[in-house]
Amino acid sequence: MEQILQVFISGILSGGIYALASVGLALIFGVVGLVNFAHGEYLMLAMYIAYWIFNIVGLDPYQSLLINLVVMAAIGYITFKVIMERVLDSDHSIQMLLTLALSMVLQNLALMFFKADYRNIRIDMTNDIMNIGFITLNTPRVLAFIIAIGASVLLYLFLQKTFTGAAMRAISQNGKAAQLMGINIKSIYCLAFVIGTTLVGLAGLLISPIYPAFPTVGASFSTLAFIVVVLGGLSSVPGAIIGGLFIGVIESFAGYFAGPAYQQAAYFLLFILVLIFKPNGLFGRS
Amino acid sequence: MIKKLIVKQNSVLWIIAVGIIIVPFILPNRYFQDIAVMTFLWAGLATSWNLYSGYCNRLSIGHAAFMGIGAYTSTLLYLNFGISPWIGMLAGGALSALTALLIGGITLRLKGTFFVLSTIAFGEILKVMTITSTEVTSGALGLMIPFQPGFANMIWTGKIPYAILAWIYMLVALFISVKLEKSKLGYSLIALGENQEAAENLGVNSTKTMMTAFILSAVLTSFGGTIFSQYIMFIEPTSVMGLSTSINFILLAIAGGLGTAFGPMVGSFILTPVSNLLRGYLAGISGLHGFILGMILIIILLYRPDGILPQLKLLSKRILQKLDKPKKGE
Repeated sequence: MEQILQVFISGILSGGIYALASVGLALIFGVVGLVNFAHGEYLMLAMYIAYWIFNIVGLDPYQSLLINLVVMAAIGYITFKVIMERVLDSDHSIQMLLTLALSMVLQNLALMFFKADYRNIRIDMTNDIMNIGFITLNTPRVLAFIIAIGASVLLYLFLQKTFTGAAMRAISQNGKAAQLMGINIKSIYCLAFVIGTTLVGLAGLLISPIYPAFPTVGASFSTLAFIVVVLGGLSSVPGAIIGGLFIGVIESFAGYFAGPAYQQAAYFLLFILVLIFKPNGLFGRS
Repeated sequence: MIKKLIVKQNSVLWIIAVGIIIVPFILPNRYFQDIAVMTFLWAGLATSWNLYSGYCNRLSIGHAAFMGIGAYTSTLLYLNFGISPWIGMLAGGALSALTALLIGGITLRLKGTFFVLSTIAFGEILKVMTITSTEVTSGALGLMIPFQPGFANMIWTGKIPYAILAWIYMLVALFISVKLEKSKLGYSLIALGENQEAAENLGVNSTKTMMTAFILSAVLTSFGGTIFSQYIMFIEPTSVMGLSTSINFILLAIAGGLGTAFGPMVGSFILTPVSNLLRGYLAGISGLHGFILGMILIIILLYRPDGILPQLKLLSKRILQKLDKPKKGE
């Protein structure tokens, strides 16, 4: 029983990160209508930024948080202006292929400049442990979870409470009507894209003390984020948060009962099942 | 004469497709002959992928799974039971057809984005299954095929027989594509790709149409997998089933022209040699090769999303028309 609870909590902690990595994807899909296969690559970039700042300047990922987020926002902005803006009206296949190509370019750029080595950030806190009752928790993971859920909830509140957030929701419901109401649709698209890449960057930064950076680290997070987003109903931010936690728990239990090799297979299987029986997502409205 | 040529551009493309087999015979050494084999093989694979995804504009990004089924089926039958890869190729094709029927039954009815995502999931599940069934597939280590030359083993010492085999494979895929384009199935498929609802309202049976094309595409891709494994003589899950392999099908098809019979071939004729030469010359800097390919894809998508073939057709039309004019003046 104790072990089951431990596995469950561990899953929830990973799930928080998955949620944060996925809310941005859901936002970009919902508002801009882009299926961004390069989403995970921004997580990879943020991990490398955290790594290099740590190695060259000596600031740990938490201290470099602000710089990292600003750089990620800038990278997101440049991507949107240089590439994405040109294909907003294109066919969906073209958009998807373009983001696939972008992910290929970014992965190979990382391979060129940083080699295929695994790069770890070892800070004092990396191996710290917290004991709550009989449950043992790794401090960076707890911290990552709290910040991740905090940021996801902030995004949700931003969408619900601010004017810009309301504009985003309006666009995601009906872009044409929103435009007729005088919303500057392009700048909202750009903002949504930048928020999305910055949030997945934050997820990358948060896992950097416990997870190594390597050129293809983003790819697994990309597929994972897609599964989470589909579970959550594709364009729903709260759906993505719940979906992330759900996938974290599933993955954790699959690893515990069937072995680590089956973790991925478990959530892919769940994904296919959802597509068959509830294509609008587990938590989506039909 | 020239006017007829404009109309019959397909016959020019056929002449190129058939005549290209001279190239590996003229090439000076094994290195360049290897590039020729790969060019024909990738042309065949990309053409097979295009049969479903290109014509009805629904990207199957997990399609390398079928290549993997072909490669693993023939290799496992050959290694464990000594069954000739020629028979293994057919067995792989049958297994791929069955898999396509099962997977297609679930995923083909999904709408655009969901379908694309489901193909990725399918590809990844199959890859994970292959990696974890270590007793059968030896997992991520991959399988080696011992070098025992002979026609029955589909293994040869020189590159030329492989070039001929890959070329025949390419021609078969092309022939089926051209036939498809002019058949009711092809028209229905293209109509579905343009507007599914409208096509269904006009009486196109979308499930049956898509399923037929999907199975056809899966079987042909699987044949390519067997040829690939017999040529490289080593297979492992990522090289035959990985996402990057699927992306390569797509890259070649879109570079040449998505949803055209000869587009993927043209794409492969241009990009496979470029890609292989780059890989050869830029081996010192890992990643540069992939970076350049990705950039090529981005540039094509941003500026010429129709691909090279329509551009070439337009260009040849203009040249031919210019050649035609002075004659009229006479």
